[in-house]
Amino acid sequence: MADRELKIFDYDAIEIGEELGSYEYILTQEMLDNFRASIDDPEAPFPTLAVKHDATAFAMVYEDHTGGVNAGNEVEFFNPPVPGKEIRVTGRVADKYLRRDKPYMVIEATAVDEDGRLLEKLRTYQMKKPGEIGEKWHPSS
Amino acid sequence: MASLELEADQQIPSITKKVTQETIDQFESCGILDRPNIHNSPALAQQHLGTSYPIASGRMSIAFAAESLRRFFGPEVFNHTGTVNLKFLRPVKGGDTITVTGAVNSQEPTERGNLVSVDIFCDNQDGDRTAIGVGTAIIK
Repeated sequence: MADRELKIFDYDAIEIGEELGSYEYILTQEMLDNFRASIDDPEAPFPTLAVKHDATAFAMVYEDHTGGVNAGNEVEFFNPPVPGKEIRVTGRVADKYLRRDKPYMVIEATAVDEDGRLLEKLRTYQMKKPGEIGEKWHPSS
Repeated sequence: MASLELEADQQIPSITKKVTQETIDQFESCGILDRPNIHNSPALAQQHLGTSYPIASGRMSIAFAAESLRRFFGPEVFNHTGTVNLKFLRPVKGGDTITVTGAVNSQEPTERGNLVSVDIFCDNQDGDRTAIGVGTAIIK
């Protein structure tokens, strides 16, 4: 993965359909083992969930001082990834909208392995006003 | 593998998971960007969320729901045709225990087979709902 100069995230400026670029990585057995241990599921086949393909694609392009909280995920499973294989991820901004005066951004990513097998499609609904979480559930002051 | 003749309201296997900061950190360690975030850094959680502790990634609940659905449909079906769609209703943090339950909502014939939709619920140890959504798979 080449180093890229990050752009400063600006909710108003980001465009629906904007490509977040692509990246590749090798899925290791250690990643699979850690993922399975973390969720206490020794047969879990998709450690890609913990790699967070879409959020990673976003973080490789944008420096986000706003932060965000995950309001929802949609995932489609096609084929479990194989440790040792390279995974290629492409990401994009799928949508953005205001709901109850809160800004939301939807990012998505598609993962394919080095053999061209479609692995997973993932979509995340990020609420870009994350301070709402503390205010609503657990005020710290 | 699930029977071809599923009944409406048929329950999926209930699973219960203990979430600790250690398991949250381990989940985060699977990422390819070695950066602190609101899940593994109390300081960032305080800064961005206003909470005094990190919260678990919602994707952990996705993984819990996927396990329940995989057990119900069978890996040969779910790992190749499955979907999980969850809306997160309240934070999950270290020390919480999350239970996934669900039941068949509908079945619809498609060109690839029978599309089965399952309502999914995630609840914490206090009985509070942390996530709600739908899982699907196509059975032949």
